[in-house]
Amino acid sequence: MQVYNEENKIEIEVYDSLKRVMDPELGINIVDLGLIYKITYTIENGIHITMTLSTKGCPMSDVIMDQMDSVLSEIFPDKKHHIELVWEPVWNTSFVTPEGKKALGLTF
Amino acid sequence: MQLATQKAPPANIVLPHYAFAAVAFLVLFILLFFSADSFIGHYFNPKLLTITHIAALGWGTMIIFGSLYQLLPVILNSSLFSNLLAQITFYFWGPGLILLAFSFWTFAIGIPIQIASVLLFIAATLFLVNIIVTVTKAEKSNIQAEFIVTAALWFWVTVTIGVLMAFNLTYAFLPQEHLFYLKLHAHIGIAGWFLLLIMGAGSKLLPMFLLSSGVNEKKLTIAYYLLNAGIIGFLVDSLFFNGISRGIIYLLIALAGIAFFFSFAYEAYKKRARKNLDIGMKQSIYAFLIISVCIIFSVLNNLTIFNSAVFAQQITLLFGISVFIGFISLLIMGQTLKILPFIVWLNKYQKLAGKGKTPLPKDLFSEKIAYWQFLSFIIGFLLLLFGILISTVIFIQIASLLLIAAALLYNFNVFKMLLHKTSIQPFPKNN
Repeated sequence: MQVYNEENKIEIEVYDSLKRVMDPELGINIVDLGLIYKITYTIENGIHITMTLSTKGCPMSDVIMDQMDSVLSEIFPDKKHHIELVWEPVWNTSFVTPEGKKALGLTF
Repeated sequence: MQLATQKAPPANIVLPHYAFAAVAFLVLFILLFFSADSFIGHYFNPKLLTITHIAALGWGTMIIFGSLYQLLPVILNSSLFSNLLAQITFYFWGPGLILLAFSFWTFAIGIPIQIASVLLFIAATLFLVNIIVTVTKAEKSNIQAEFIVTAALWFWVTVTIGVLMAFNLTYAFLPQEHLFYLKLHAHIGIAGWFLLLIMGAGSKLLPMFLLSSGVNEKKLTIAYYLLNAGIIGFLVDSLFFNGISRGIIYLLIALAGIAFFFSFAYEAYKKRARKNLDIGMKQSIYAFLIISVCIIFSVLNNLTIFNSAVFAQQITLLFGISVFIGFISLLIMGQTLKILPFIVWLNKYQKLAGKGKTPLPKDLFSEKIAYWQFLSFIIGFLLLLFGILISTVIFIQIASLLLIAAALLYNFNVFKMLLHKTSIQPFPKNN
């Protein structure tokens, strides 16, 4: 990803920081799992993350959200953040990164 | 945003069920070792009744209680109606089971078994109320919840028949002979309680743990109606039309329901995104394979083709063992390694998540120990079936020792998780 301006730089930092957030059941971070759909940052609105979960009603949903809150508050203490949970498009394995696929045992 | 874990009951309500069940599982096989000769006679004997009830109530039902209190809020996205009721249920059920086991073992069929059955009946009623109100007050129900509520109803019916039988041993007021009610009690317990519940919980857990999407849930609805039709038909025909010999018809209806559930489970397995199966899921899948053994014994058990009464009794015993010790125990052991680490992890690390590097739920138990437990259990189970089939006590005793080893290893992992001490490391600096 190429850095164009300060806002893009923050978006990339957010993306990297979210690799700390693990799905505890799978032991894979949410970025490699392909749960993060979009990250935007503007000075006015702060950090906005659009994401999904692998299963509707996932019992780990709030744990994942709590982890994200903790990580974002720690690394970007002066920036407000908002997490939007969406169900479209429905998560599937094509969203998983090569690292995530390796961890899941997917061979394609 | 769903906050499923905040709706789950506190860990101190759920975890004692796992501790009790794990100990019951070990006691069960120790008793099996010391009563190996009972397995080559008629199944209606004090030792076998003790072992069966420890397996069904102390092991299977106790762990189902604990797991359901955790799972139902996830399925319904709604809190359990009453945590207090769940606790009271535990305090009636545990002592009730211990007294029942003592009564069977010593064949104290008077006051002790009556008190035990009343304690269990109170617990079953409280459990039923808790489940029904939880589902009723949830905003939205689903097929998984239907399975669970119906299973809880059949559970209550099973316990009620058991209570009547306990009093009938002294007062002999029931119109039919004791073994007639025993057959109803056992069949409704196995199909109505255990099977329906496993289907309901499994239909949620399987796709969730395997990361399967787009699995056809219509199969579950068909499975639900067919299995219930089989149970109701069997119960009504037996009670009112003297049709217990037509059991094979209802068995076939129930088997059709099981086939639809299997089709669902297979579809979930084929569509799984998670190709690497952990030890918990491997054990669960083997448990489902054992169902085929249960079905063979069940069909044989319902066919009146045997001239030899001894062989017919053996088949009944083999059916019971393949269900309780084979299928249900292996499934519970597998799912314990999925559910218990998650409950303990949430209890210890939920508030610490994101603040440092925490162990994962799978790090809370030893996978190596779980592997040896699985191996010891499978060999012990197969040897037990073989020992009963050839009526040889020494094989049954060797099988019991292997099963005791499996139960000890299982207990090691359960208590390793229950006694886990919180540990958190700082994140690596490059993140």
